Parts: sequence; structure tokens; C-alpha cells
Amino acid sequence: MKKIITLEVNGDLHEVAVAVHQTLLEVLRDKLGLTGTKRGCAVGTCGVCTVIIDGKAMLACLLLAVECQGRSITTIEGISSADELHPVQQAFVDQGAIQCGFCTPGIVMTSKALLDKTPRPDDEQIREALAGTFCRCTGHIKIMEAVKTASQYERAEKKSD
Amino acid sequence: MRLLRFEHFKPSSLEEALTAMQESAGNVRVLAGGTDLLVNMKCGLEQPGLIVSIGSLPELNTIAEDPSGDLRIGAGMNLSELAENSLLAAKAPALRDAIKSIASQHIRNMATLGGNVCLDTRCWYYNQSKLWRASRPACYKTGGDQCHATRGSERCHAINSADTAPALIALGAQVVVQKKGSQRQIPAEDFYRDHGARHTVLEPDELLSGLVIPCGNETGKTHFLKISRRQGIDFALGSIAAHLAGNGSTCHSARLVIGSLGSAPIVLEKTAQVLVEAGLSQESIQAAAEAARSELGVLTTLFSSAGYKRDLAQVLVKRVLHSFIKKPTTQKRTRR
Ligand SMILES: Cc1cc2nc3c(=O)[nH]c(=O)nc-3n(C[C@H](O)[C@H](O)[C@H](O)COP(=O)(O)OP(=O)(O)OC[C@H]3O[C@@H](n4cnc5c(N)ncnc54)[C@H](O)[C@@H]3O)c2cc1C
Ligand code: SF4
Ligand code: FES
Ligand code: FES
Repeated sequence: MKKIITLEVNGDLHEVAVAVHQTLLEVLRDKLGLTGTKRGCAVGTCGVCTVIIDGKAMLACLLLAVECQGRSITTIEGISSADELHPVQQAFVDQGAIQCGFCTPGIVMTSKALLDKTPRPDDEQIREALAGTFCRCTGHIKIMEAVKTASQYERAEKKSD
Repeated sequence: MRLLRFEHFKPSSLEEALTAMQESAGNVRVLAGGTDLLVNMKCGLEQPGLIVSIGSLPELNTIAEDPSGDLRIGAGMNLSELAENSLLAAKAPALRDAIKSIASQHIRNMATLGGNVCLDTRCWYYNQSKLWRASRPACYKTGGDQCHATRGSERCHAINSADTAPALIALGAQVVVQKKGSQRQIPAEDFYRDHGARHTVLEPDELLSGLVIPCGNETGKTHFLKISRRQGIDFALGSIAAHLAGNGSTCHSARLVIGSLGSAPIVLEKTAQVLVEAGLSQESIQAAAEAARSELGVLTTLFSSAGYKRDLAQVLVKRVLHSFIKKPTTQKRTRR
């Protein structure tokens, strides 16, 4: 069963024909060419497919694309401007919280969702938010540091505005 | 792992959903948050012809106190929203703690209370990819006639890991079940069956529309706690919810419910009796923990022995009862 649906991704409206059994992850990657969102376990355990939907971190591998109509989806491609990284991305680079980079889009999106809601998270809040993500390279400590740095960058940015 | 073809129906009212459930009974599945169902479908454990998507039905997305003081929660309520809901925190903090212990924030942002209550039972053999399972003959739960987890067993012993289940039972909650043209309300305890392959009393054309937490729980206290390997995105090794009512060290009533050690939550009746008779003290906690050990009817499986499960139950009972003596704390993901 195919359906024509309209998806709002990174502020743009896309009209796409999808099979009802296709996940949002498949549609983002295969139909819209937004391959920044990664596919890892495909069963909800690793968080590499994290996107932000209506302000909340969610797993694109466990959402049917047809269920995402009328919702506002943000992917890793949508957070930076053409020539500047988003503060969360910059913090990950500066803290060396990236090695192979495969987990990074999901963790950046998870961190962004956290900071949007809780601009000054404590360690427990960071741990809780990141619990649904896996990094096989860095060991998570640098990632925690990066989230704290991102929080500082964002606050500094707000001040200078 | 990809999903195979199915039909998808998004009803605009509960009535429409119930009609679809009735017309396709046997070949239909309710999709709420999908964090259990879609995983199982990807693993080839379920292949319904029709999916009825109920997550955003307004009738199921409510939480309110009714005139009698009971708390009514729609089955479609999102777990993250419930975790932050002030009414729930005031009326049933143990249920809120159970909800907070589920999976990860990502998953709670998608999942529903009804989906957790109906969560399929789990087992080391069952929750694998189709390819993985194909290396062994089918088991009871996958259509065969043997069990790989408990040798010689006559039935499936897959585990009920729904974290809200023990909390709901300890709180004396009722489950509201609807089908086209009728509705029934049953105690949460009777909603579950001690049978891994058919673990709830839901009929194929029925759905869970909500839960009722009776008022009166405020006269006592309820605590929930969960032990798991990682304390994050992790099913429980064992969990417990306890409701005690009384003055000081006397105990008028006690309800203790263990989760994740059997195909249904386990209500510890003898253990509760010990507390009612002896009150709550360091000595009675020890006696209660021993009672729990002896009344727990559990089996040895390939992955955990009955002895381990009894040890775990004993620890759970002790820890939860100590939390009534110590100044009340909300359960956190404490690191061991
Ligand atoms: C990585 C990971 C970790 C997890 N950890 C935990 C955990 O720690 N604790 C825990 O309890 N669970 C855990 N889960 C399981 C699951 O995410 C939760 O139980 C969740 O609450 C299920 O809710 P849902 O709305 O997503 O259910 P769905 O997947 O939509 O539904 C689950 C089942 O219930 C049925 N169903 C749903 N709603 C209704 C209804 N209203 N009436 C009748 N049937 C219905 C569905 O048909 C399906 O069979 C985990 C899952 C994953 C992927
Ligand atoms: S407990 Fe036995 S029958 Fe049940 S799912 Fe596991 S292996 Fe299959
Ligand atoms: S790919 Fe979605 S959680 Fe792993
Ligand atoms: S940087 Fe390699 S998995 Fe995280």
C-alpha cells in the first residue's frame, strides 16, 4: 500500500510517495537523500537514527513514515547554517568527542534536544538523555564534556545576541 | 531488518478503531508507540495484515481525576509526558518512577502507557532476528512444540518485563478493556496470565482504552524499584512495587508485587501477611524477605537459575521495604 504524504523536514515540505511499511529512517535516507541520519541496530537500542520531532529526540528506525505527517522533523542536516557549525557540533569537534563519527549525528541531535529544553543540564540529566545512544569509540566521557561545552557556547551566543 | 508489507489504518475516533479491530480480528495489531511492536515485526515475530494506529486518538490521550478522586489515564498517553505530569506525581509517584525507569528518553518520547501494559513477553531465544532463531526449531511461542529456555517445560515461560505492571497492581489499578459495543473493567492483576505465549486476557478484537488508579492510595505509600545491568536502556533483571498503609510501624495493609521474574507479575501474598502481622521493622523486613524467597514460584531457565531469582526477590523486598523506613526517596538510576 503506497501513500502520498507530506513531510516537514528541516523546515521544507516534501511530498513523497511511501509504502506504509517504510520507516521514517528509510524515507529520509533513500527518498530524501538525507543520509546524515544513520542506520545502526534498526531496533531502538543504539540511537544513531535520532531525529528531533516536535522538539523531542526520537528514533527514526521505529517510526513509520506515514505516522510523521503534520509533525515537524529536524535532522542533522537541518541544524547548521551553510558555513557554520551548530554550537553543539562545534563543541563535539573542540572536545574531541568524535572518532569514527558514526554515532555523532544521533548523539548531536540527542544533545540538541536536551539543551533546547534544559540549557544547563547537570551530569545526571546528560546521562539520562544520552542513555539511549551508543558510542563504540570515544567512551562517552568526552561526549559528556562536549555537551557541557555546548551548553556554554549556546549561552555565550545568546548573551552576544 | 526491514518491515514487511501490511495495511495501515489511522482511525479518527476510538469507535472507528474498534470497528476495524472487530472486522479484522485475528489479523490486526494495535500500533501505539510502536517501540515493541515494530521491533517484533522487524524480527519476524509478528506479521499482522492490518495495523490500527491509535497513538494520537484524542479519547486515549487524557489524564484526569474523576469526581470520586480516582485517576483515569488513557492508554495512548505518552510515557515522557506522564513522567512529567504533576497529577501523576501527586497521586501515584510509584507509577511515575516505574515509567521513568523504562528504556531511554528516546523511547519514552515515542512509547505509550497502554503499549507498556500490553508489552509482549520476552525471552533470550524469542527476541532475536529471524535468521538467528532459524538455527533452532521453533519453540512454543513461535509455533513449535518445545521450549529452548526451560528444558522439558510444557509451556512457554517468556518473561513479562513491563515495568508499569507491578506498580499498577500494587496501586490496585483497574484496566479498562473495550471492544465494539462493550467495555469491561478488570483488576490489573487479572489482566495478566501466567503464560508466556498468551500473557494477557485481551481478545483479538479488544483494546486497552485506559487505566484507573483508585483514590485511597494516598493513605499509604507506594514505592517502585528496578534492578538492571546497566541502569539505562535496559530491561529489568527484577523489579518490585510495594504499597503499605498504616501508622508508624503498624501496617494495616500491604501489597508487594514482583516484576520481570515470571510470565506474569508475581503478587507476594505471604510476604504481605508477614508485614501485616508483625508491622514494619528491621526484624520483620528480614522475615518478609525470607517469606518472599519461599513463596516465589520460579523456574530455572538456561539464563538464570531459580536460586538466582530467589536471591534477587529477597534483595528487592529488603530494598523496597527499607525505602519505607528511610525518608522517602524517589527512585533514581543509581549506579551500583
Ligand atoms: C531498546 C529498548 C529498551 C526497552 N526497555 C524497556 C524497559 O526497560 N522496560 C519496559 O517495560 N519496556 C521496555 N521496552 C519496551 C517498550 O519500548 C515499552 O514497553 C513501551 O512502553 C511500549 O509502548 P509502545 O506504545 O511503544 O507499544 P507498542 O509497540 O505500540 O505496542 C506494544 C504491544 O502492545 C499492543 N498494544 C499497544 N497499545 C495497545 C492498546 N491500547 N490496546 C491493546 N494492545 C495494545 C501492541 O499491539 C503490541 O503488541 C524497551 C524497548 C526497546 C526497543
Ligand atoms: S520461554 Fe521457551 S517457549 Fe517461550 S519464547 Fe522462550 S524458548 Fe520459546
Ligand atoms: S538504528 Fe535506530 S536506534 Fe539503532
Ligand atoms: S565516534 Fe565512533 S561510534 Fe562514536
